[in-house]
Amino acid sequence: MEVPREPVNLSLTTPRRRRRWLLEVFLAGNLLFLAVDIFFAHSVNSFREPVEWLPLWFSLAGGLALIALLASGRGPDTPLTRWAGGVIGALSVGIGIWGAILHLDSAFFRRFALDGLVYAAPFVAPLAYAGIGFLLLVNRAGFFRKAADDLGWGQRVTLFAAAGFGGNFVLSLLDHEQNGFSFWTEWIPVVAAALAVSSLTLVGLRRKPAPGLVRLALLTLALQVGVGLLGFWLHLGAGISAIGGRPFEAFVHGAPPFAPLLFADLAVLGGIGLLALPASSGREPGVSRRSCGDAAPAP
Amino acid sequence: MSDQGEPMFSGIRFRDLIMVVGITGVLVVGAVVLHTARPGVAGRTAEQIRASGECANCHRNETGAVVAQFEMSAHARAGVTCLDCHRVRPQQTSLEHHGFEITTATTALACQDCHADEVRQFERSRHALPAYAAVMGTEGYPPAFPPERIARAEEIHPGAVHRPPNALARLEGMETTVSGCLGCHNIGQPNADGSIGTCTACHSRHSTAISLARSPATCGQCHMGPDHAQKEIYSESKHGILFEAQRHLMNLDAEPKLLTAFDMPVPTCATCHLSGLEGAKVTHDTTERLSWWLFAPVSEKRPQYDQAQAEMQGICLKCHAENHVTEFYANAEALVEATNVRVSELMERMAAVREAGLLTEAPFDEPLDFLFFDAWHYAGRTVKHGAFMDGADFVQWHGTYDLMNRITEIEERIEALTPE
Repeated sequence: MEVPREPVNLSLTTPRRRRRWLLEVFLAGNLLFLAVDIFFAHSVNSFREPVEWLPLWFSLAGGLALIALLASGRGPDTPLTRWAGGVIGALSVGIGIWGAILHLDSAFFRRFALDGLVYAAPFVAPLAYAGIGFLLLVNRAGFFRKAADDLGWGQRVTLFAAAGFGGNFVLSLLDHEQNGFSFWTEWIPVVAAALAVSSLTLVGLRRKPAPGLVRLALLTLALQVGVGLLGFWLHLGAGISAIGGRPFEAFVHGAPPFAPLLFADLAVLGGIGLLALPASSGREPGVSRRSCGDAAPAP
Repeated sequence: MSDQGEPMFSGIRFRDLIMVVGITGVLVVGAVVLHTARPGVAGRTAEQIRASGECANCHRNETGAVVAQFEMSAHARAGVTCLDCHRVRPQQTSLEHHGFEITTATTALACQDCHADEVRQFERSRHALPAYAAVMGTEGYPPAFPPERIARAEEIHPGAVHRPPNALARLEGMETTVSGCLGCHNIGQPNADGSIGTCTACHSRHSTAISLARSPATCGQCHMGPDHAQKEIYSESKHGILFEAQRHLMNLDAEPKLLTAFDMPVPTCATCHLSGLEGAKVTHDTTERLSWWLFAPVSEKRPQYDQAQAEMQGICLKCHAENHVTEFYANAEALVEATNVRVSELMERMAAVREAGLLTEAPFDEPLDFLFFDAWHYAGRTVKHGAFMDGADFVQWHGTYDLMNRITEIEERIEALTPE
């Protein structure tokens, strides 16, 4: 059956465009914020390798370019937005995977032992670029755009968020193992991330997620925001007390304060996905077009 | 309740709930299992655990040799972390180092935490304050260094701690003293944290290997050269020859208290002076088994002569027959006495010349001062060390012959000075 061509409509009047625009804003913001994060993270070794500057400059350039495109009011579907975002996305995926390999190469590839993962540069961290890049690509892919107004779009975004929380699970486990989980509070993000992975995955994989399950997932995401903010506070305090009240040193060498904010960040992504799901998913996809996040039915 | 007025979790299936709880549980239990399987965490502080890997993570790139050395150490195998030695102890200067408070002064105070007996034995030896005072006298002590420690050292080694700085070192200047003399003599330096010396002089900083302390080259870094040619004498001796040939067959890493002749069938410096071969007592007091003051111009028996000789001979007897050991000691002591006679006569001759006003009282301002010093300090000592370490060539050509040669030259110089 021939698929009807999309109408040329560059405005944000439709819910599916608004959702995708929202996702684009989320990704641009994340890419830009990664520049700050990378600045502190790579300051640990004073950017010893020149390649360590690459993600910083890429985040700034890519993030600002995406913001500029969004601010121009073109919407996500103009050829320029599609291509520019696609290129940024592809580069981001490449940088993320390359970064993960380089991080693993810093210790783990030389000695295949778990402590090589714990104390080496965190190999999961660069995968944030891969995730952002992948989402940038799929946000402009045909199948994704067409799915943007049915149940599938929300579910896919939710699954991406679940994968992100999977990364958070590994990251918190490895990061806190650096201290040997000396403080019980270090288990909070591990448990929280596991809960987010399970509830979001279940919603993402269910053909008809029950509204109660969606609400449970939303509640889980609210918990992640709390965990993120609590972690930010605890990391900041631990860092500053360890470094004797010197904020820059605390940011660079103490517990990374921005890392827990990834929980809140991914909660936003999960929220975008969950709120795009129909209010009552007990029916077949496409039957109900009314989404939790939409005021009006999709055209 | 939701905003539609229905229960919050209405429609949620029990199966879904079980799956959420189940997946969460599996992930968390997996994490806990991984964590509990990790060794070296129990009883450690967060900082120590961080130090167990984080230090190496940076230093692998910054100063890789330090990490490589540490990783081959027994300390690493025992789970000792960088912070265990580098943590700041009372009276030590603290340095903020990338999120850690550390000290770079890893003195005997750090080693003392785990090796208290060894540090105590070391502090009784001439490797401790007497070694430092031999160059610096009572100068250069940190202001806060406990006076009772100096008094205690002087009590053990009368006259070896409360003494003036070395006259020759003073004439040579501080530049030579710092880079030269103290390169060895700071093994017993008084530290600002109140401790004495540094164990790393023999054990190195990061590999901290027993095998290193047992290597003749380690002792030889200081005990070599014309004034105390022990390293050269050892190399010439049967012990040295055999060690060179059979080193690869030996277990130089054997536990000190369990060391047997099968681990080290050939002795090194450490075997005779420190080790607990075949059940003998291990010591870090290098003075304990020495029966003579061989370094002195005219050698005398040490106060604990009998006990020291019995202990040293006890080590000899692990490998040699008693008659051989007795004969060896008798020959060596005869040689010491003969050398004492030669040097004593020379000393009396020099004293007479000085009394006659033919030499000044100032040290090292005339050629005869140097010639006399070389005679007993080089040749005289070499004879005696050669005698006790089985160095035939050093007893004769580098020893007695050289001493006679120098005495003859000194006599000629004295005659030239004497008025007709």
